[in-house]
Amino acid sequence: MVMGVSRRAVEAVFQSLFILTDLRVLLRSTAPDHRLDEAQRAGVRDRIAELRREVDAIEQELLR
Amino acid sequence: MRLCGEIEVRDREETLINLDPIQSGGRLTADAMKAVIAYGDGYSVCDACGKPFRLDHIKKPPLDAFHRDLAAFVNMDVARVVPGARRGFQAVTHTLVEPGQPVVLTALSHYTAFLAVESAGGVPREIPADGDHRITGEAAAATLEAVTREFGSAPPLLMVDHFDYQFGNEHQVREIAKAARQYDVPVLYNGAYSVGILPVDGKALGVDFVVGSGHKSMAAPAPSGILATTGEYAGEVFRTTGIRGDRTGRTFGVKEVEMMGCTLMGATVMGLLASFPHVRERVTRWEPELENARLVSDALASIEGTTILSEVPRNHTLTRTDTTGSFDGVARRHKKKGYFLTSALKDRGIGGLFPGATRVWKYNTYGLTRRQAEHVASAFREIARENSIAVR
Repeated sequence: MVMGVSRRAVEAVFQSLFILTDLRVLLRSTAPDHRLDEAQRAGVRDRIAELRREVDAIEQELLR
Repeated sequence: MRLCGEIEVRDREETLINLDPIQSGGRLTADAMKAVIAYGDGYSVCDACGKPFRLDHIKKPPLDAFHRDLAAFVNMDVARVVPGARRGFQAVTHTLVEPGQPVVLTALSHYTAFLAVESAGGVPREIPADGDHRITGEAAAATLEAVTREFGSAPPLLMVDHFDYQFGNEHQVREIAKAARQYDVPVLYNGAYSVGILPVDGKALGVDFVVGSGHKSMAAPAPSGILATTGEYAGEVFRTTGIRGDRTGRTFGVKEVEMMGCTLMGATVMGLLASFPHVRERVTRWEPELENARLVSDALASIEGTTILSEVPRNHTLTRTDTTGSFDGVARRHKKKGYFLTSALKDRGIGGLFPGATRVWKYNTYGLTRRQAEHVASAFREIARENSIAVR
């Protein structure tokens, strides 16, 4: 590990972008009404929970 | 919404069902988007580039294995990534065609095939299409014979599309390649509308070069594509440099002349690579894509005065239609003129058609979910009924 580098913050930023990308692709496959079925809604709930964890990690790492 | 300055966010794919004829097969997978995020910087794939300093030798990311996988994917021996199918055409014409020599292409060939011939100083000779807009083996044989008589020797190259960009019709590649073999003419297969969306086997087709488009059919950013060939031609088209600086005596290792050294060094090749597992899998699902295409073309054909100009039943998701006898009649009396159709579709969350077109136009249903295809089919019928056009 390079001195001063927050590996966790870097990973959390990428993970957040990747989760948002998955949500972006869901918007595409459900356009134009974005009406989600139950499985898709459950998937979105899971992804948003993961995203929150990643954003929390960014906050903890960068604002410590 | 703007991402910065005057640059607007492009959200067509997120907000509409996009029927643009050239955009559907190049829509990125989630993994390709992630690759663009992580590898957007210029020479991003060059972090671990070592001797002999060439793209297809890089192990991390695994571009060396990817090149082998690409060749196997289209059942050829050697493959390279190129900045678009057009650069694949050009590499081949520059290798095989001398100024003044004829090159056989077709009446439905893409303009970039012509430009590739022109850039090599070649002379185009087109195989005519038949009355159904198809290129046959018989017509290819007749053209090869005529060109050989005209020029006193057989042409150095024949270029043919599997599916053309105008009608999305399937052409007799296998028969055309067979005819070319009778004249010992190498064949370039243009798979811009096939490689990456349906199975392609270059050797079974009997062709010498397979060209594919990353941004048209392999879910990759532009400009990207592939050029694959046989062991017989690989040494010619991928020949390495032999030039030497006259003052410095410098030489340039194993750089390939027609590739101009390395080709795709960042987000483009990483998009191709990240999408590849999905692309390899999706070509096996061509039949459901055709079912969606037929659903929409049947809906259009059910509208009185509308003709499907492409071959029917559809064997491709790209379709050319003529609505001069239906939607164009509405356009002539509508206050929005030709834009009424674009506008009515947009109201239903559908976009990508040429704005204002109500006579002859193209669309592509590739990649739509069944629900989206059904929505498109219903929308066309609904718009017809709303404008007092009979629907059968």
